[in-house]
Amino acid sequence: MNRDHTTLLRLRKARRYILLYVLLIAIAIAIILPISWIVASSFTTRETVWKNVLPFSWRAFFPADFTLDGYHAIFEKDFGRALLNTFFLGAVTVVFGIAVGAMSGFAFARLQFRAKNFLFALVIFSFMIPGDLTIIPSFVLVRDLGWLGTWQGLIVPGLANGIIIFLFRQFFAEIPQDLIDAPRVDGATWLQVFMRIILPVSKPALISAGVILFLGQWNNFFWPLLVAPDPELRVVQVAVSIIGVEQQVSLWEQMFASSTLAMLVPVLLILPFQRYYVGGILGSGLKG
Amino acid sequence: MLNKLRLERWTPAFFLAPAIILLIVFRYIPIVLGFEEALYTNSLSLAGARKFVGLNNFIAVFEDPVVWGSFKTTMVFSLVVNPLQVGLALLLAELINQRVPGIAVFRAIYLVPVAISMNVTAIAWGLALDPNYGLINGIIRTLGLPRQPFLQHPSQALWSIIGIISWIGVPYWSLFFLAGLQGISSDVLESARVDGAGSLRTFISIKLPLLRRIIAFVLVSDTVVNFTLFAPIYLITRGGPQLSTHLVMYEAYRRGLVYGDIGIASAIISVLLIVVVAFVAVEFIVLRPRH
Repeated sequence: MNRDHTTLLRLRKARRYILLYVLLIAIAIAIILPISWIVASSFTTRETVWKNVLPFSWRAFFPADFTLDGYHAIFEKDFGRALLNTFFLGAVTVVFGIAVGAMSGFAFARLQFRAKNFLFALVIFSFMIPGDLTIIPSFVLVRDLGWLGTWQGLIVPGLANGIIIFLFRQFFAEIPQDLIDAPRVDGATWLQVFMRIILPVSKPALISAGVILFLGQWNNFFWPLLVAPDPELRVVQVAVSIIGVEQQVSLWEQMFASSTLAMLVPVLLILPFQRYYVGGILGSGLKG
Repeated sequence: MLNKLRLERWTPAFFLAPAIILLIVFRYIPIVLGFEEALYTNSLSLAGARKFVGLNNFIAVFEDPVVWGSFKTTMVFSLVVNPLQVGLALLLAELINQRVPGIAVFRAIYLVPVAISMNVTAIAWGLALDPNYGLINGIIRTLGLPRQPFLQHPSQALWSIIGIISWIGVPYWSLFFLAGLQGISSDVLESARVDGAGSLRTFISIKLPLLRRIIAFVLVSDTVVNFTLFAPIYLITRGGPQLSTHLVMYEAYRRGLVYGDIGIASAIISVLLIVVVAFVAVEFIVLRPRH
């Protein structure tokens, strides 16, 4: 009787496991297959790109006849320039975005000043309203500043990021008071405390902020499309969209090649930094 | 010493100034500018200069069938996409919260769409859903089913867009729910189990109520973000077929930057902004900590 009961339990558990793994694998396939199809198609020619799709065969997820035609073609169209531009845009945004975010996060976490709650409400409210919502008046503002087609037009409006400020504030608020009190008693200024004590112990927050800011710029499309669509400042997402839709003929292999490169970088970045990325975006939702 | 004290008085301002100035100039001034621009016409196609037109642009928002239609389409779209994404994200979070071997690998795979831009997702799924040679129709036909028009038919286009953006949206929002589920104390779940509650019962009666705040946060954030959906419409459907995917952000872009009528584009955005602020205000009230 007792043994029957354990067998039943074990059977139930096994059934549960099988069901779980079927679901997990099915969802993983729904994510991986479209990606492997894009990557596989990026190594085909325009003539063979649909060969294994209609009629459909599993070979659609592997390159039909390996060529680099698509990649050659997009690099001849300055896709390399777009990649470099985006790396530069991302790097500058990471450096200055972290400086701006960490400094104000520090003030909110550790300093006393008037109108603190009001100013912090400004920060919170700014990330509840997506930047894309006010993109047209922002465009008008940047146009009136004479910043259309400039690096500052691309970079400066995105430097102060409410989520990043919030992330730093949360992290700095947890730093033990003793760490700060000792140098303060010894006469260190707040700037010295910030540079020598706070920042060195805040590597997780700095990595989170860096990954979020870089991914944000790498995947940004609407703003650069409006502000800097010209070839000199063109960023990767705009370049992908131009290859993708603004052509008379459909350049299939080039669409797949440019899409492959555009997604490769953020995927390679997010996987090793999963914990930091997820931790960073969660802070904005859960503790607020 | 006095000098130092005077310096210290300015310390908060020094640390705050860059962020606050940038936020005010690039996030808050555009909001005000949007309301102001909405009172003028400066259509580039007209010879006349910028002219004050009062509330005409706002009246046009409600009277122009295409503009008002884009608001209606956006409402229908919102009412479907947001509950759908929140529901699926909750289920996905519950799935990846199971402690089974290899779960870390699945979590990593499910994070991949989160890293990919809406732009690339739209282009790739636009190709995959192509009625003539798309991957999905290839699979459908191999299964012996009839070819589907997807993005090229008014009855399916908006649904296809919802599917495409959920490929990113569901895994993204599930991260928030997963964190919420992991925050539920094991004592609570253990006592439910001892009382004989099954997985489904525990999920509905214990976990969902405890996730109330996160669900509210995600529902509002998702709604607000989806109000600004632009890339897939711009890249794949251009609002069509027959305006079936003509969402409000695309209409604002078309009016403001294709036709050069910043006035009506600003009026569209201002109306949308009022709706968004109302949503966010409700969220703040719901999420206010209770003592």
